[in-house]
Amino acid sequence: MNVTINEEGSRASVRLEGRLDTTNADQFMKDITPLMDGNHTEIDMDCTDMEYTSSQGLRMFLMLQKNVSARGAKLVLRNMKPHVKEVFDITGFSHIITIL
Amino acid sequence: MAYGRKSISNRLSRYVLLISAGLFVVVTLLLGFLTRRIIERVSEAVAAKDLELAVSEVEKVITEVERAVDNVDWFVERNSSRQSFMTEATRELVSANPNIIGSAVAYEPYYFPRKRWSAVYTYIDAETKELKTIPMGNPDYDYPQLDWYRVPRLHDKPMWSEPYFDEGAGSQRMATYSKPLRDTTGRFFGMITSDISLEWLAGRIRDIAPDGTSYAVLVSANGTYIAHPDSTKVLSQTVFDVTAAMGDSTALAMARDMVGGKRGSGRFNGGSSDDSYAAYGPLSNGWSVLLVRSYASAFIYLYLFNLFLALFIVLGLIGMYLGCRRVIRRQTMPLVEFSQAAMTIAKGNFKATIPPVKSKDELLTLHDSLVYMQKSINEYIAELKTTTASNERYESELNIARGIQMGMLPRNFPQLDQCSLNAMVQPAKEVGGDLYDFLVAGDALYFMVGDVSGKGVPAALFMAIARAAFRFIGPLGLSMAEVMSRVNNCLCDGNKNEMFVTIFAGRLDLKTGLMTYCNAGHNPILVVPAGGEAYFLHARPNLAAGLFPDFPYQGEELLLAPGTRLVLYTDGVTEAEQSDHSQFGEARLKEWAAGLNPAVSSGSATIDLYSRVKNFTRGADQNDDITIMTILFDKK
Repeated sequence: MNVTINEEGSRASVRLEGRLDTTNADQFMKDITPLMDGNHTEIDMDCTDMEYTSSQGLRMFLMLQKNVSARGAKLVLRNMKPHVKEVFDITGFSHIITIL
Repeated sequence: MAYGRKSISNRLSRYVLLISAGLFVVVTLLLGFLTRRIIERVSEAVAAKDLELAVSEVEKVITEVERAVDNVDWFVERNSSRQSFMTEATRELVSANPNIIGSAVAYEPYYFPRKRWSAVYTYIDAETKELKTIPMGNPDYDYPQLDWYRVPRLHDKPMWSEPYFDEGAGSQRMATYSKPLRDTTGRFFGMITSDISLEWLAGRIRDIAPDGTSYAVLVSANGTYIAHPDSTKVLSQTVFDVTAAMGDSTALAMARDMVGGKRGSGRFNGGSSDDSYAAYGPLSNGWSVLLVRSYASAFIYLYLFNLFLALFIVLGLIGMYLGCRRVIRRQTMPLVEFSQAAMTIAKGNFKATIPPVKSKDELLTLHDSLVYMQKSINEYIAELKTTTASNERYESELNIARGIQMGMLPRNFPQLDQCSLNAMVQPAKEVGGDLYDFLVAGDALYFMVGDVSGKGVPAALFMAIARAAFRFIGPLGLSMAEVMSRVNNCLCDGNKNEMFVTIFAGRLDLKTGLMTYCNAGHNPILVVPAGGEAYFLHARPNLAAGLFPDFPYQGEELLLAPGTRLVLYTDGVTEAEQSDHSQFGEARLKEWAAGLNPAVSSGSATIDLYSRVKNFTRGADQNDDITIMTILFDKK
């Protein structure tokens, strides 16, 4: 999983590439830690090239979402592939996380 | 250990040998060149000395002859009118001078009245060795017309003749010194002569260079050979004949120079592989002496010297090679020992002794490095042993945990008249996060399949809570939505790590076939009606349990026709991957269901699906737990 973070003031554009599974979930957690330090009011994640997420990965998104909600900021996931979106839908995560 | 030809000592020795041999070759070539030049110079000096010797030797003869003639001519001149003195004078000359082989006194024609010829010739008889005196002059031997008489008379001075073969009294090759005679009034009246043998003269100069490395040649005023080691050339050839045949312009120039009465020297090639050196000088009578010295003859010593030098060098190089090899081998012996010690260590004997080093050089550094490496390895191994021991403990604890977890999953699958149920979990790691549960209470079958986020011990613990909650709350008689809500609240309580679990839970009324269910974010279950096409039950997803307390879960219901089979699973089935990441997928699951014999038991169906998944992944690593539960509702 490749995570590229572009910061434009209080807005963070994030690009996700590859597969998010049990083997690299911990690394993904470290990669997105800078987004949880409270500096950004708006986090925009481009999921065009995200191929897969496991339930462990969903947990990471959930933790980020809870962190963002607690400080009144916004998290948006964009351009998700249908089969990845399906995972978010099945588990009901689409209710919690804004997916455009 | 034998390294043979590839050992360092052999290699280094060979390099030393090659470099030394190269140096020796260069030095030898240089030395050879210099020696050659020196030998040439010495050769030339020797030739110059030999020339002087030859010149003085011949000059001595000439002077002696001339002086002998001078000593008697006054006697003849005083007594010019008395013929008898002729005989006396010639006999005196020949007998007193070993150089002179013949002598003549000849008068001008008609010096004595009525006598055209008046002359005597005295010589040593070849057979008797006695002096003989004979009169000269007759119509066949008209001496005033002959060169020895005519030419000096013409020039009016004493002269040496060109060499000639005397067919008269002497019958040998000779040269003649002729001196004009004058009476008291100064009038020319005759000629006095002395002959010298050219064979004898040649013998005098032949001894100049007895070693044969050089030879002397005597040449007349017009270039004819007077004396030459090759006697066939004498009188028959001139220096110009010989030098022209050589085709060497230097030789020809030198020949001209020599015949012109000059002194000189030079190098020329007479046709052989090596050059020769010529030195020449004039004699007082117009003749010249030529000394030829061949360099090649002198170079023989140089070649011999070189041969010995090469022999010594080869022997020296062999000695040096052997010596070098011995010294280097001794000096690098610790390396061999080190490599043996390193090999011993590499084979697993970590306590092997590193051989000590006496010298304080790179070998000592290598020794210290080896000792340090050995120490590090031993420390690392000790550490590794501790780590391994503790890892083994963790592993055994994990195995126990797995046993406990698997023990929680019920295996006493109900074989009721109305339905049969079978299930299995294959964790990806030792301890997994998938779970299933079922229980029969009254006329109802309660069942659930769940998937905890993550794997390992945390997932297993979370799963245990979920299973306990379901087992307790399930059969209380509540709606499935209510059951899920309570289970959710149970799980949310104290869940600080954002763990969650997706659950499909249902209650099947065994009498009516009515299934009420609630889906908490789980995969849609597969419904396989008897004789109909299988379909995924896309229930309302609600939300995975454990995330938000008091989430309003909503239940649904489905009436099952007899013979309907339910297939519950976790994403470990649909997301089972081959090594190229292609997934098993819902389509293959559906395909499997279509090909399944409707009458087959739940146990066989479960195993069949699992083996289908395993066949698909073809041994690729399993990256998620696989859980399968099949229920066959078959109201009799």
